[in-house]
Amino acid sequence: MAKLEASDTIVLGISIDSPAANAAFAKQIGVTFPLLSDMNKEVLTAYQILKPYDVKGGKYEWAQRTTIVVDKEGKIQHVEQGDSAVNPNSAVSVCTTLHKSKD
Amino acid sequence: MKQIAVLLLLTFGVHFPTMAQEDAVAETNLKVGDVAPDFTLLSDKWEKVKLSDFRDKKNVILAFYVLAFTGG
Repeated sequence: MAKLEASDTIVLGISIDSPAANAAFAKQIGVTFPLLSDMNKEVLTAYQILKPYDVKGGKYEWAQRTTIVVDKEGKIQHVEQGDSAVNPNSAVSVCTTLHKSKD
Repeated sequence: MKQIAVLLLLTFGVHFPTMAQEDAVAETNLKVGDVAPDFTLLSDKWEKVKLSDFRDKKNVILAFYVLAFTGG
C-alpha cells in the first residue's frame, strides 16, 4: 500500500455486497481503501464482468475476479482477470511505471 | 436480530467458499486505452464514490471481488 500511495494511486474494491456487509468485511480484513457496493450490478454490467456461479442448484451472477488500472486521464492501462488478479503485484507495477513516466 | 445477523454471516462464511464455480473466465471486452466507464457507488461508509472524481488526481486500481468474506 505504501508503494501505491507513493505513486498517486488509490484502490477501490467493488462487489455486489451491501455497504453493511462491506463495512463488516473491511473491519475483518483491515483494509483502509473503500469497498464499493454494486448491488444493482450496473458497473459489473458496464465492465462486462458478470460471471454465472452455481450454488446448491441456484444460479447467481456475481463479479469475475478482475483488476483494472485506470490512469489519471480516465483511461484503462491494465486489465487482469481470473486467479492471477488476486495478486496485485502487476497492477502495482503498472501504477509505479505510470507515476515515473509523469516525472 | 443481531444474533440472527451474526448467525447468517457465519453460515454464509462457511458455505460460500465451497460453492461450485464454473472455470470459464467472464472476459471483458474493455482494453488498454479505452475510457473506463464512469460510475458512482456507495462505499462501506455509505458515501458516494465517483470514478471521474479522481480524474487528473489519482491513478485508480479497480479490484473487483466475488463476495465479501469468501477470500475472493
